[in-house]
Amino acid sequence: MKITAPISTPAEVEPLVRAGARELYCGVVPPDWIQRFNTSGVNRRVFGNLNGYADLERVVDKATALDAEVFLVLNAQQYGEQHLDALTEIGARFRSIGGKAAIVADISLIASLAANVPDLDIHVSSVATCRNVESARFFAALGANRIILPRDVTVAEIAAITTELPELDVEAFVLNDGCVFEEGACHTVHLPMNKGGPICIDNYQFEYQATGGGQPHERALRRLEQNDLDYKRWLWYRFGNGFSVAPNGYPWGPCGTCAMPAMHAAGVHSVKIAGREGASERKIKSVELVARVLERIEAGEPEHAVREFAVGLRDAPSHCASGYMCYYPEVRSRQATGDAEGKVLTAV
Amino acid sequence: MTSTQHTPTPDSTTRPIELGFALVDERELAAFAHHDRLTRDDYLDQLGEARDYVTVPDGAEPTHFFLGSEFCEHLLPSVESIDRAVALCERWGLAFGLVTPIACDGLFDPLRAALARLPAGSEVTVNDWGVARLVQREFPDLRPVAGRLLGKMLKDPRLPSATWARMYPNGLRAGPFRDILDGLGIGRLELDFPPFGAADMYAGIDFPVGVRAPYGYIAKGRICKLGSLSLDTPEKFSPGHKCRRECLGFNEVGARPGTHELHTSQRGNTMYYRHAAGMAAAVAEAVRNGWVNRIVLSGA
Repeated sequence: MKITAPISTPAEVEPLVRAGARELYCGVVPPDWIQRFNTSGVNRRVFGNLNGYADLERVVDKATALDAEVFLVLNAQQYGEQHLDALTEIGARFRSIGGKAAIVADISLIASLAANVPDLDIHVSSVATCRNVESARFFAALGANRIILPRDVTVAEIAAITTELPELDVEAFVLNDGCVFEEGACHTVHLPMNKGGPICIDNYQFEYQATGGGQPHERALRRLEQNDLDYKRWLWYRFGNGFSVAPNGYPWGPCGTCAMPAMHAAGVHSVKIAGREGASERKIKSVELVARVLERIEAGEPEHAVREFAVGLRDAPSHCASGYMCYYPEVRSRQATGDAEGKVLTAV
Repeated sequence: MTSTQHTPTPDSTTRPIELGFALVDERELAAFAHHDRLTRDDYLDQLGEARDYVTVPDGAEPTHFFLGSEFCEHLLPSVESIDRAVALCERWGLAFGLVTPIACDGLFDPLRAALARLPAGSEVTVNDWGVARLVQREFPDLRPVAGRLLGKMLKDPRLPSATWARMYPNGLRAGPFRDILDGLGIGRLELDFPPFGAADMYAGIDFPVGVRAPYGYIAKGRICKLGSLSLDTPEKFSPGHKCRRECLGFNEVGARPGTHELHTSQRGNTMYYRHAAGMAAAVAEAVRNGWVNRIVLSGA
């Protein structure tokens, strides 16, 4: 199992690889893109991109020298048809300088890259919301080599895909940055904070209504309000415990480190650390944290010992016990209830 | 890559506009069952006050009735409800369609059971590429329609201006998109009308287009606040749990303080905006121009 880490400058390559990342992903806004299309939206993030092709080449050169691979994000949820040729050219240029794969969500771009840049691997972005076996087969048929699963899948769901499609690499989130909505079904932009920021933490003031009109009765309202308080607490965890770090420098926020033994057993190829826009120090500490857990798995330590180690790494097990900081909360629940079989939960 | 030319969207002067209603809560079928036939007013009445934000063209009468959720895997109707809806549609003389969401693997067997109940030629609104594949491979006599979740476009009601909207164009006219839909046997698109949209946004799309009205969806999650209401605290806000469908009983309505943005609401895992009068007019213009040939009424 490899660690996939975000970068936004060439200077981050060496410390991240030294910390344990074998795969790096980055975005770039080519200098002529904004002039041509009047937008900086080459990928899902406006910020956190490399400055241009020269930086991209430096990143690939440095990573190759350290035996790491580089992936380029071209993962806007959708592109206009006028963008496809330019994006395909970016993909071809990236491949020509030694880039390994493009991370893509838009099905038209996947098809275009597969047809025109056949030696560039295609990783289906989490933004494509591919989270079942049939969907993975669909993307594999389009030319995908890897599926990056969205947030909010269970380890059992991951295992279903890895079992059915062993030829396809599967990457799953392990640390940092949580969306509330499914990325592929959230049709908003992250506005500047003075205009509201991400919609999931914007200042909407909602009131409950009963279906058919009127307010819910008092007892229901009390339960709803208590649920809202729990939700606010979950949101705090979802956004990095108020965008903070632990005293030892490790990042808070959505985490799947205690699920890594189960993910490893499920055949996950790579674990993804999110946060291209984050500070370099946060990225490095993130990779260190995940690498320490991975070392134990690779050393063959028993699953329960690795889980305990992961929970203890930030020296604040109460956050883990809350269940709200987890990417894979069923692993924590399984441990808490002693369900050694890991019962598979289904939707209905 | 080769592409197939579709029959152009029918011109509204030669073919009447189709009118559908999409019902999510299968329990409400009981109220519909009292009708011997359904009229446009029956459909509009289901929207309550929101009926004022839809412009249904003169002469448009119900042609379709849909059941199911685009947004939640817990809201797939039972086979009993599907049977009932199919029988009602036969009585009303309407075409029936099943609406399906993004699916986890656990939903595929229930989906197979549901799809097996549909008469040949029924539409299935698919919002997951895997479900589209399932329909094509195992139910070739059904007609898949690409739902709103597959027709990606920016729909943020908070955008400060139309300039922002133009920065993120949609790819609905892209050749590969058309070819992929063709390959899956998808012959129709269902779309939203976005904030800062214009009637001609539907022009030149190579498929017949239906528009949902008067609510567009902004975002949907798999994590559901309301669906966690009955769960113990540590189990809330996680995937893969049981759900008591609390979203069918409660809705949240509100706004960002100090703004005059579109009316916004959240039901279960999904945020919606309601069309403003100008948006309804633009959809009507798109119908007049033959760019849209179906309106699907649905609540939020």
